[in-house]
Amino acid sequence: MSRDLELRVAGEAAEAPEGWTVGWIDRAGGVARLSDGSRSLLAVVEGSGSSWTVMLRGRRISVTVRTWRERVLADAESGATLHDGPIEIRATLPGLVVALALAEGAEVAEGDALLTIEAMKMQNEVRAPRAGRVASMAVTPGQTVATGALLLRLE
Amino acid sequence: MHKDSSPQRPPFRRLLIANRGEIAVRIVRACRELGIESVAVYSEADTDAMHVAVADLAVAIGPRAASDSYLSIPAVIAAARQTGAQAVHPGYGFLSENAAFARAVEEAGLAWIGPPPATQEALGNKLAARRSVTDAGVPVVPGLLVALEDGELPDLSSIGYPAMLKAAAGGGGRGMRRISRPEELPSAVESARREALSAFGDGTLYVERLISPARHIEVQLLGDRHGNLAVLGERDCSVQRRHQKLVEETPSPAVTPEVRRALFDSARRVAATVEFHNAATVEFLLDGEGNHYFLEMNTRLQVEHGITELVTGIDIVAWQIRIAAGEPLPAELLDPEPRGHAVEVRIYAEDPYAGFRPVAGAVTAWRLPGGPGVRIDHAVTPGAALAPEYDPLLAKVMVHAADRPAALARLRRALDEMVVGGLQTDLGFHRWLVDEPGFAAGDYHTGLIPELWGESGPPVDPLDASLAALLAREARAARSGSDGSDGSNGAADLAGRVAPDRAWARLAREEARR
Repeated sequence: MSRDLELRVAGEAAEAPEGWTVGWIDRAGGVARLSDGSRSLLAVVEGSGSSWTVMLRGRRISVTVRTWRERVLADAESGATLHDGPIEIRATLPGLVVALALAEGAEVAEGDALLTIEAMKMQNEVRAPRAGRVASMAVTPGQTVATGALLLRLE
Repeated sequence: MHKDSSPQRPPFRRLLIANRGEIAVRIVRACRELGIESVAVYSEADTDAMHVAVADLAVAIGPRAASDSYLSIPAVIAAARQTGAQAVHPGYGFLSENAAFARAVEEAGLAWIGPPPATQEALGNKLAARRSVTDAGVPVVPGLLVALEDGELPDLSSIGYPAMLKAAAGGGGRGMRRISRPEELPSAVESARREALSAFGDGTLYVERLISPARHIEVQLLGDRHGNLAVLGERDCSVQRRHQKLVEETPSPAVTPEVRRALFDSARRVAATVEFHNAATVEFLLDGEGNHYFLEMNTRLQVEHGITELVTGIDIVAWQIRIAAGEPLPAELLDPEPRGHAVEVRIYAEDPYAGFRPVAGAVTAWRLPGGPGVRIDHAVTPGAALAPEYDPLLAKVMVHAADRPAALARLRRALDEMVVGGLQTDLGFHRWLVDEPGFAAGDYHTGLIPELWGESGPPVDPLDASLAALLAREARAARSGSDGSDGSNGAADLAGRVAPDRAWARLAREEARR
């Protein structure tokens, strides 16, 4: 069945290279040896279903491996969830909210600083991905946030 | 005679390590080799940490937040008293350069493994240190010798742009900002002050001219309590992101014998401005003409001490402990002849393809390189979530070989042997660096990362993308084979999220067309 699987890397269609083979070193742990007969590399693969992550030469590469049915259903889903509503800004790293650059109701341009999160003792500014108005602030200074936590809504 | 011949009897019976992670493990190892019982301290985040597992004793000192555990002077002193420790090693970071802690250790009747508290005070303030080493005839980076007052914006016309804003209590790149134009000053002062205040509890700032291009060179010192001072060579720490070191090597490819003599002379002069013993590092910038400028003296063990140990054969951590117990440095240690070349790369839990941002998660697969000339210092427990409260350093990969080309070949080989799963690390950056022509030639400076790597490094190599696709496909096929499902009826999962009739209708249409 593997020949029928659709492969995508970073959103682009990808093909397995000719002449390379996979040998498992630790199948449960996802550690494998890739070889073309004259050279070899170690890599790790982790994931499930259609969503996989490969660590190769120290770089994390996301791969989508989909059956024909999954592709059609996923396309249907993305069509169903398109909307023009407000966007949610979420934390991309865990840390401590140290400062809000703006209050609710503020108009922002793309790239404007919204708030600052301190993580690993570094100050990281969260910036507006597009222009809009701060509809609501979900955090206050001093609050610890996890990755994915809602920070604010932009409309 | 071997330089590290063991002392006749252990310098101390029991020693407390006021740190965590790889450096705590490193100090436990030195203790074991010296016949000293080691005491680990740990926060609630570190119950299962490696440094706790390898130490002879371990004491819980508080909650996850470092301010209430690893930075709590009363908690650490209480742990030392409770376990009957005779000495305290602070490692690096945390309380290692905190003179109040060093004093508290000595007042509790324990041996402090580091330079005297008064020395730490004198040199801990970078601005005061600039003033005193200038008096000792050591060149410093041109700039202000006075602090910026709160709310005051300095006139930088005499210094010129670009300039560097720095924290007087600083270190580790925190509270530092580059200022290219006068307009950038107000916001830079504000954010640098906030960062310095949060990191060091002191928002005092000063300004220096930016020396660029420059190499970041540091000199390792080891002094005993009898007036002997050993200069253990230099380290080149020019590969930096956010003004923080990522790669170090010794000797520096930029340092000629003449420059080395001048650097060592300045380092000795800096040490002579204070009452110095134990281990410290004097940091300098080196410009393109071979001029050096004093930056600061770190009165503690450095992260990168291991490469100096590799080329000198001297166990710096063991000697820190022996010196604290009063042992003199033997004559053959005072003028060591380094052998070969050593390089360290730091593996951090951060994403070099996204501006070296810290990443959260757990290491899954974890295979470490080995073989000739490879030393790994780490404290990773695979499967355990990284604590975001602490430094994201995962491992230090160090290599040692006869010369620089052999050391780089060994580093390339070691990095190819290393496997880290679960989260993005700096490993891919280091693998790129080994083959970067300027680095390979030894011709690089502190601008290497911003100028040659940038925010996201090179795009994914097309072969790597297709190899990743191959491996993911085989992984899915292997998974399907083992659990009997071919994973193709994902519609069941999707049904909850997509209007089912719509999804199935679409599937039916596509099916009909097939």
